Amino acid sequence: MSENFVPPGQQRNLRACMVCSIVMTTSRFQREGCPNCEDFLHLQGSMDAIIDCTSQVFEGLITLADPSKSWVAKWQRLDGYVRGVYATKVSGILPEEVIAVMEDEARIRYIPRDGSATEAD
Amino acid sequence: MSTANLLNAQFDDSEDEDDFNPQPADLSDNEEAGGSDDDAGAQLKNEASRRDDNGPSSNGGRHASDEEDEGEGDDEDAEGEGEDTAAGANDDEDEDEEEEDEDEEITGHRRKRRRERRNQFLDVEAEVDEDEDENDDDEDELNEIKDNFIADTHPDDVADLPAGGEIDDRRHRELDRRREMEASLDAEKQAEILRQRYATKNRSGRGLGDSAVVPKRLLLPSVDDPSIWAVRCKEGKEREAVFSIMKRIEERLGTKDELAITCAFERGGTQSTMKGFIYVEAQRQADILTAMDGLMNVYPRTKMMLVEIKEMPDLLRVTKSPTLEPGAYVRLKRPPKYAGDLAQVIDVTDTGLELRVRYVPRLDYGLHEDVNAPSDAFGAKRKRATAGPRPPQRLFSEVEAKKRHAKYLQGNPNTKTWTYLGDEYINGYCEKDVKIQVLTTTDVNPTLEEVTRFASGAEDGTENLDLNALAASLKASTANASYLPGDVIEVYEGEQKGVVGKAVSVQGDIVTMAVSEGALRGQTIEVPVKGLRKRFREGDHVKVIGGSRFRDEVGMVVKIVEDRVTLLSDQGNTEITVFSKDLREASDSGGGGSLGQYELWDLVQLDPSTVACVVKVDRESLIVLDQNGQSRMVMPSQISNKLEKRKFAVATDRTGSEIRLDDVVKEYGGEGRSGKIIHIHRAFLFLHSTTHNENAGVFVTRTTGVSTISAKGGRVAAASAGPDLNSMNPAMKRNPQGNTDMPPPKFTGRDRSIGQTVTIRKGPYKGLLGIVKETTDTNARVELHTKSKTVNVPKDALGFKDKISGASIDPNSRGGFGGGRGGGAPRGGRGGFGGAASTGAWDGGRTPMASAGTERTPAWGRTPAGGANGGRTPAWKSSGDGGRTPAWQDGSRTSNPYADGNRTAYGGGNRTPAWSSSAKTPAHDAFSAGSKTPAYGGDSWGSKTPAYSGNDTWGSKTPAYQSNSDNQNQSNGWGSAAYDAPTPGANQYSAPTPAAMNAPTPGAYSAPTPAPYSAPTPGAYNAPTPANYNQPYNAPTPAAYSAPTPAPQSNQASGYGSGAWNAPTPAPMDAPTPGAQQGYYAAPTPGAYSGMPETPAANWQDDGPRYED
Repeated sequence: MSENFVPPGQQRNLRACMVCSIVMTTSRFQREGCPNCEDFLHLQGSMDAIIDCTSQVFEGLITLADPSKSWVAKWQRLDGYVRGVYATKVSGILPEEVIAVMEDEARIRYIPRDGSATEAD
Repeated sequence: MSTANLLNAQFDDSEDEDDFNPQPADLSDNEEAGGSDDDAGAQLKNEASRRDDNGPSSNGGRHASDEEDEGEGDDEDAEGEGEDTAAGANDDEDEDEEEEDEDEEITGHRRKRRRERRNQFLDVEAEVDEDEDENDDDEDELNEIKDNFIADTHPDDVADLPAGGEIDDRRHRELDRRREMEASLDAEKQAEILRQRYATKNRSGRGLGDSAVVPKRLLLPSVDDPSIWAVRCKEGKEREAVFSIMKRIEERLGTKDELAITCAFERGGTQSTMKGFIYVEAQRQADILTAMDGLMNVYPRTKMMLVEIKEMPDLLRVTKSPTLEPGAYVRLKRPPKYAGDLAQVIDVTDTGLELRVRYVPRLDYGLHEDVNAPSDAFGAKRKRATAGPRPPQRLFSEVEAKKRHAKYLQGNPNTKTWTYLGDEYINGYCEKDVKIQVLTTTDVNPTLEEVTRFASGAEDGTENLDLNALAASLKASTANASYLPGDVIEVYEGEQKGVVGKAVSVQGDIVTMAVSEGALRGQTIEVPVKGLRKRFREGDHVKVIGGSRFRDEVGMVVKIVEDRVTLLSDQGNTEITVFSKDLREASDSGGGGSLGQYELWDLVQLDPSTVACVVKVDRESLIVLDQNGQSRMVMPSQISNKLEKRKFAVATDRTGSEIRLDDVVKEYGGEGRSGKIIHIHRAFLFLHSTTHNENAGVFVTRTTGVSTISAKGGRVAAASAGPDLNSMNPAMKRNPQGNTDMPPPKFTGRDRSIGQTVTIRKGPYKGLLGIVKETTDTNARVELHTKSKTVNVPKDALGFKDKISGASIDPNSRGGFGGGRGGGAPRGGRGGFGGAASTGAWDGGRTPMASAGTERTPAWGRTPAGGANGGRTPAWKSSGDGGRTPAWQDGSRTSNPYADGNRTAYGGGNRTPAWSSSAKTPAHDAFSAGSKTPAYGGDSWGSKTPAYSGNDTWGSKTPAYQSNSDNQNQSNGWGSAAYDAPTPGANQYSAPTPAAMNAPTPGAYSAPTPAPYSAPTPGAYNAPTPANYNQPYNAPTPAAYSAPTPAPQSNQASGYGSGAWNAPTPAPMDAPTPGAQQGYYAAPTPGAYSGMPETPAANWQDDGPRYED
């Protein structure tokens, strides 16, 4: 039942989605896609997309038990996402075409998770 | 307001307006409910609908009005109202707020009021009202529509809805209404609407959560938010802890134990200041205690700290890591061979997570590969190969690679691109794609020396060092830019640019400076280290302090360009350019006699097989003398590492005496140079002589080519330096050495006392029991039994103990043996054994013999020698038997003490009869088994030993015997038992035979034992003994052994006698005799022999059982 748990041995295979910052193993991204962003990232089954849109370099894990009540979730703009493990910072740059698709078709403005957004505030 | 109320109220509204603007109304209804309800599910639905709802026109309009009304920015309201209708909805909204709680009954009244307040355009609403009534009856239909909207609310889809004509109608009307409204609004308002419409579009698409809409400053935590506690956590286990919490949350989801925490996070990481904590968000602290209870690596019961609300955002602050540009410098973390090496970024992938870097390879081109190791050996072997010092950094050389590894090398010499062992080498550098994880990108801090390696790669040989890239790398890392109070500094960046002053204090990254120039003069300001650099003037006397290779160089500043300072060094009058951060005003001058970490006379490793001693230190290079005596100049970079001086290194000189550091030795032969040992490396000595000038007085020799002149601390220089006992031995003088004098085997190698159990008899450790671990000539290192400690004790303070029985053994006997007599050593061995075999010292003696045929041989051989010396023979006794034997043989002669001795042993036993025949028995009696016995067996080594050991000469022994006589009583006691004792041989027998001898080494033991013994006993000791001993020991061992073994049992004496015996006899006779009683010997031997075999046999057998008994 603990689908979001990753045993320590597997933790080297973790990747974080560059859009929503959810942290999962590569294989789970491939199997299930990103639970929050699958609509426009289409990670499921596509290793290329996973490599482009997720990052192995992330820090500050957050385990989110109740996205709707948590201030941390609100601050990290994670409210409305599924329960799970997220990262506070995800390094890496999303390919521009992915951003374009996201903003034009899914009408979601991309907020980089690598810390550059914070500086802008 | 409760959800239910809200729903009702809104329902009314929507019904009211149904004709007019049903769709938005419905939406608002739904949204309102969702908005005010915190239920996550509703919210999600919400978002879904909202996302789809981004129709440019209608939505925008709605939002516009919305924003007008509700500028407060309250999330939930905003969300709910965001979906409200355009114009009319405005008022509706107001109404809602005001009259939420009103009943339907007053609906009519409300309408009226509303209408009055409304714009003229909205007159149409009257019609709506009427329609609405109709609809009221038709609520099912309405719901259906509503559901549709919820499920699929995109405006585009609305058209596809299977709604009635009413809907179409409604949309037309809506459009009309909007047009009218827009037309009627004044320009300003319109602009406002447009602006907001645009903004809204952007806004609604910004993120997935509703908070994405709101700037961060509006998300700051409030008292209503859950609080965050910092909980201690094992450092480095933060991530695991977070995952364990996730696991627990999910496991308990939906159970009564459901965790009440809302969130937990960590900000660990090796560099983080927040490591060792995880942060848990919950409403109450108790929730955390419950949730964390029993979780690995998390310690909620110690020092849980509440994080202040205003600090909460700081917990989640992220800073963008600097992006790497091509040309930047980084350091490698992996592989270990390159850990810490500088690398230059060549290319960065789009994601910024993979880089192409180049670095200077460390290759040995298979030079030190174990050629014998199977190429596909297991990892262990491979690893060992890499364990040594890593090769120095050198640019790739295909020539060297071809020497041994041509098969691993591919490439094109024209492009200077090679692939070698799977890596790519371009222009001598190794280029590789690496992940950013394996790089250190902050605080790289490259030194000029490192950087120049990357600069010299240009084709034309010009140095194209990119100083800007370097400076960028350097400035990025302020970590070790060290400012001290008093430094003159200059601000080169930021608002205070150009300000010059003197540092007053430094705290972390902030430097307080007293401004000395310019408008701010006299003021004290604080500036971050980042924008600072040290300022020097031309002519300043400065010292290099930083990590450059010019460290410690002192000189005068001659040129300053930005932060690069050129100085003229005091020592070499050369110009050096360094960064100003690496400089400091110099108070002293000159550098020491060292270059970096290498100093004069240091021992350094050049490559795994070559060491060298530094004999001269130049500024940038060293002159070293390698182990082969060649001196060469090397750069510090060519040295793989420095070998620390091993203070306890020991070697042996050509005479075998130990030499250590600081001893003075002299070359044997050659130039005969003498010098003090400054390094001992394997078989090489690095000596320093003050009388030589060459190589700073350092020269190299092999340890085998020197002899000790003086040892530091006056250690006993060598065993050979002891008095020559031979020359003092009258016996030796009397009997000029002939072939009979078997040179005592040289006793080198392991000290026999090592491994022995000893008591310490003197000094602070007096009385403690221990085991000898190491020895020198005078001292022993004893590992104490009491506490795990090894202490240094003078050997003469040791009392040797039997390992098993604990009986004392005379250490001196060993010492004596080992020292003066060649033969002593073996005896020593016996002694040790004797200790082991409780029966008697002798037994011990035998054991060794038995065990090692060869050893014995010498032992025995020595015996004779010993005999010659006089002293030993008696000591031997067993061997002495040899000596005695002759006595025996002589029979009459023997009858004297010796014979008695021997006989006694035997005679006492079964042999007596046999003996009697020989008439010796009486002798025995006389002797009394006792007498001898005590000597040997009874008293244990201790008593006798001294006698023996002490008496190197015969004379001394004699007393020993006498002492035996004294012990006669004891011997009596021994009597039968003593049996063994009397004849040392016997003892050996008795003891060994039953216990040790027979059982343990059936082959060896039994063999020798019987043979020698049997022989001696009957045949008269003398003959056999020597014979046996000599024989078995010497060559025959195999034959003798094999034969003897059975012999004892079957009395092969006969067989023996003829075969083994014969041979030995002569030999032993000769040898031993001289020592003890030559005369006896010679004669008896044969006689003894022939007779003996049988006798012994008989005796033997008898003895055997007896012993066993």
